[in-house]
Amino acid sequence: MKTFTPGGIHPSENKLTRDAKIENMPIPALLTVPVAQHLGKPAKALVAMRDTVKKGQVIAEADGFISAPVHAPTSGTIKSIKNHPHPSGQYVKAISITSDGNNEWAEGLNVEPEDFRSLTREDVISRVKDAGIVGMGGAGFPTHVKLQPPSGKRIDTIILNGAECEPFLTSDHRLMLEHPKEVLVGLEIMASVFEQPVKIYVGIESNKMNAVEIMKEHAPESIKVEALKTKYPEGSEKQLINALTGRWLLEGQLPFDVGCVVQNIATAYAVYEAVCKKKPLIERVFTVSGMEIAKKKNVRAALGTLVTDIMEYCGGLESDNINQFICGGPMMGRAQFTFDIPITKTTSGLLFINNKELDNLRERPCLRCGKCIEACPQGQRPWVLADKAQKKHAQELPSYGLNQCMECGSCAFVCPSKREIVHWIKYSKAVNANIRQREALKKEAQKKDS
Amino acid sequence: MELTTIFVPVLSLGAVAVGLGALILFISKKFYVAEDPLVGIVNELLPGVNCGACGFPGCKPLAEELVRSRNATLTCPVGGPDVAQQLGQVLGIKMEEVKPVICTVLCGGTNSHAKLTAEYHGIADCWAATQLYVGPKQCSFACVGLGSCIPACHYDALRIEDGMIIVNEERCTGCGACIKECPKNVLVMAEKKKDRYYVACRSTEKGGVTKNLCDVGCLGCKKCERVCDANAITVENFVASINQELCTHCGKCVDVCSTHSIIVAHDLPVIQDS
Repeated sequence: MKTFTPGGIHPSENKLTRDAKIENMPIPALLTVPVAQHLGKPAKALVAMRDTVKKGQVIAEADGFISAPVHAPTSGTIKSIKNHPHPSGQYVKAISITSDGNNEWAEGLNVEPEDFRSLTREDVISRVKDAGIVGMGGAGFPTHVKLQPPSGKRIDTIILNGAECEPFLTSDHRLMLEHPKEVLVGLEIMASVFEQPVKIYVGIESNKMNAVEIMKEHAPESIKVEALKTKYPEGSEKQLINALTGRWLLEGQLPFDVGCVVQNIATAYAVYEAVCKKKPLIERVFTVSGMEIAKKKNVRAALGTLVTDIMEYCGGLESDNINQFICGGPMMGRAQFTFDIPITKTTSGLLFINNKELDNLRERPCLRCGKCIEACPQGQRPWVLADKAQKKHAQELPSYGLNQCMECGSCAFVCPSKREIVHWIKYSKAVNANIRQREALKKEAQKKDS
Repeated sequence: MELTTIFVPVLSLGAVAVGLGALILFISKKFYVAEDPLVGIVNELLPGVNCGACGFPGCKPLAEELVRSRNATLTCPVGGPDVAQQLGQVLGIKMEEVKPVICTVLCGGTNSHAKLTAEYHGIADCWAATQLYVGPKQCSFACVGLGSCIPACHYDALRIEDGMIIVNEERCTGCGACIKECPKNVLVMAEKKKDRYYVACRSTEKGGVTKNLCDVGCLGCKKCERVCDANAITVENFVASINQELCTHCGKCVDVCSTHSIIVAHDLPVIQDS
């Protein structure tokens, strides 16, 4: 079975919602849609207070090339536009919409499915762009940018990422089981944009063999469905490329540079809906799981639905023992300080966890056991990064491979001393960004002087 | 035992020592660099803490540059007017006037005043905490209170009390080393005056939002702007700012401020040295 080298770990899978069918959550009375749900510049709000909007109407337009528009998830009136807690942990401008209950589509959207083969390449890209589709695996990189590689880069491999290596999460798994045709059409649409991709892969971890079978059954001959070894982080872009093609991305390289494009399952499904049905990205599937929520489910809800509403829909908390609420997967997700956050395009899971380790968590000195080096999928030395950061030498770290780190958390997971390696790395990245920013300001001031 | 066992090593090592000594003497004469004696004198006048506030790596490089260029705009912000005057006398130029500055905290949201977020388990550093979430306080402009600025201070003038940084005004020299360590930019350098009125809040949120998050935040209600006779106060983006040049220290604004976000420097608690 194919896999990446080096490194990788195998945390307990905890896929509690493996067999739970996707449920459509009714649209709540109030939706709070943040204008920043993607990587890049936040979208510019187009509506004002007390405006009425239709479902699917653009309420914030893309600001620049690497940006994506935001659409109204239902029809209603704009209640307010103000800063609201966001899954990123910061306050982000969000548009609140009071639903009018009619759920009425704007004109020309949500049409009968049409065949994408009759569309030109430009049409496909503009439909993806207008639908505001971004990478729904977590990073939120605008998909239309991925479909337009810089000139001179030849793309020969398209990879659909069905690894879903994070514990707990099952939303992509369920999408593959319940909508295999749509997902594969979405993949074909994205492949049709490139002049002649030689190979199209679907990579699925071996703990989802039923998904592998069902995808193989529906896939046309040009698409190769591969089962991958169950190992974290198999679903990381770089690791997946390595597992399927054997290519390796160097520091600062993007998948373009090695001729690959990687797309997520949920993104492929959204592309199908956008191109064939003209449906903008206004809802997504995510997993509600963790030991502390009463009903563990895979839910399809409108973007902007508040977590408090979802908790109510899932039967509320089982007890008061919850001490962590994580948005995303347990390895790379973020612990939140409030339940008052909306679902965004990149929310793949909501985990309500009682982490018994948390209360007596104490960082102990590094033993130099080398487990983190064995676990690091990027072949770095995580302990060196953490050690140097702790000793206030964060500014030296870029030469030790700081920017190679994608914060997958494998090192911190295996550390017997419970060292907060990823947190130190995040800290070092922030310190370096601050230094760069100050240097840029200094240079600008010098330019003005001279 | 024969005496030669002692004489031979003593004489041979002595000869090596004399040879090396002669070499050092030769090199020191041959490669002598004449240094302006003024540099030493100027360096003596400077405080000698190498804080870098002047923009040079330390006091000696500043002294060298001063002696070389006689640039009247270069000065030691830490030393203040006294040092500037002495430097001017030594160098024979008229130094530009230096206004002494002091570190000012533009936030009053202590743990007892501001609404808190969640329990934080992690690295005790402001930059590390703000990477994960908004900070221990719900207000996104508030002092994080984990003390990243403390190790940057050369004068031990900063301390954390009740989740808020406080400045020992007697020790602070205004070198500005702490400013770049703050992820929320709550530290600024303000002119050092006896009666210094300033607004201890940076929140540009609307009044209602600020009020909800913190007891002592500036709401932008413009009461102070109306009451100020000297037109020193302007309210922009829901936060007031006081122009130090125009302020007459009448104290009217402090009386009308409903949230007590305007602070007078002499009212600040005096920090005792530990």
